[in-house]
Amino acid sequence: MEADSVYNQWSLENDTDYGEYNVVEPCSYASNRSLEQVLGPYVHSIISILGFLGNGLVIVTYACYKRTKSMMGIFLVNVAIADLLFVVALPLIVYNEMSSWSMGQVACKLLRGTYSVNLYSGMLLLACISTDRYIAIVQARRSFRLRSLFYSRIICTIVWVSAILLSVPTFYFYHWYEPSHTRQIFMIHEENVSFTPHYVCELKFSDNDTAWRTKVAVPSTQMAVGFFLPLLIMIFCYTAVIITLLRAKNFQRHKAVRVVLAVVAVFIICHLPYNITLLYDTVEMFDLHPCEVSDAMLMAKTVIQTIAYLHCCLNPVLYAFMGVKFRNHFRRIVQDLCYLRCFSRASSKINTSNCRVVYQISDTNSSLNV
Amino acid sequence: MVSGSPSVMVITLLTVCLLATHTSAVYPECCRRYMTVKLPFGAIKGYSVQTVREMCPINAIIFHTKKGKACTNPALDWVMDYVNRVRNKAQMVHLKTSNAH
Repeated sequence: MEADSVYNQWSLENDTDYGEYNVVEPCSYASNRSLEQVLGPYVHSIISILGFLGNGLVIVTYACYKRTKSMMGIFLVNVAIADLLFVVALPLIVYNEMSSWSMGQVACKLLRGTYSVNLYSGMLLLACISTDRYIAIVQARRSFRLRSLFYSRIICTIVWVSAILLSVPTFYFYHWYEPSHTRQIFMIHEENVSFTPHYVCELKFSDNDTAWRTKVAVPSTQMAVGFFLPLLIMIFCYTAVIITLLRAKNFQRHKAVRVVLAVVAVFIICHLPYNITLLYDTVEMFDLHPCEVSDAMLMAKTVIQTIAYLHCCLNPVLYAFMGVKFRNHFRRIVQDLCYLRCFSRASSKINTSNCRVVYQISDTNSSLNV
Repeated sequence: MVSGSPSVMVITLLTVCLLATHTSAVYPECCRRYMTVKLPFGAIKGYSVQTVREMCPINAIIFHTKKGKACTNPALDWVMDYVNRVRNKAQMVHLKTSNAH
């Protein structure tokens, strides 16, 4: 390949005879395509399944079992909802992107929009959680007034509304279309041109200026509001939390510090590489590159993006399952399900109303214990 | 219900994966740089337009030549001159979308 491109260079520079010429072909991104063929069906579906189970359990636990509604609880449920919608949209996007986008215009706008809304709301809610912990631990005196259910509902509404507003350009500019350079070819002599029509779900604009501006603005907003803003808030809040925890004389403080550090570390490991690639991509977007370079850049982006997707499976573990209260509630779900299953298996011939009674007894027992 | 919905989802996802592995990937290509030398007009069979208004990051004129597709810079005079000459001669071939899939 190296020798080949050197030869191309040489022959291009010495090309005086118009009978001999070498063409610079459009890039097919073959390596990135084959990488996506592996990552798409296997890795992304594992992420989706794990994310679906983890976040589903968080939502079910809070919806059915958790009676004490706290500000943190409401934030955690909202993060789980955002992550759940994300992992539902992800396999559909991957499926469509692996071939000609087959689901049409509505699915195109809806899936791209859902992806964007949940990215923003998920990240902003993580920032809200860090602020909530900061108020609870560092500003403990103001805690009762500020950490009310009323405030948390308002904050969640603000987060979701801003996530939707930030995603308006995505909803508006993503279209389902056949790219014009593959659809329309002006030929001197009519001949049979073999081609496969290919639909994409990508950005489309009516004029060049809007195109240039939006192609920079969309990823820039994503980096600024979807990463750097939450990162700054988290670093500020959790630094203050750790300092307060280290001063306190609580035997559990080291465990708490470790949890906080894990939350921040996972956030940075998952999203910093992706946002750096996004930044590089945005800066270099309109520059000219050989195909090998842009193919390699795309491959790096594909791998790093997968790491970022992993975050939505880790959120339930980092935020919900690390909490003692949540774990107790979760244990109750498992126990209740066990009771239900064992009982129904043992008495499959007896009518099901008895089953429900046992279920309710076990439920009241465990709620007394809490 | 609690144990039912995840397993339905798992099955759905696996089906999607199986479907996805059987489709061939023919993704639209994009020009990422331009030819540095002028093409001979005689070699050109036709052209198509890549625009920044769509999925690709740069504007380009793609000349269809006997040796394949050639990415050229629409800011260059010879490129637009060729485009006009081809357009005068050519009838546009609207590629039919009926032979899809």
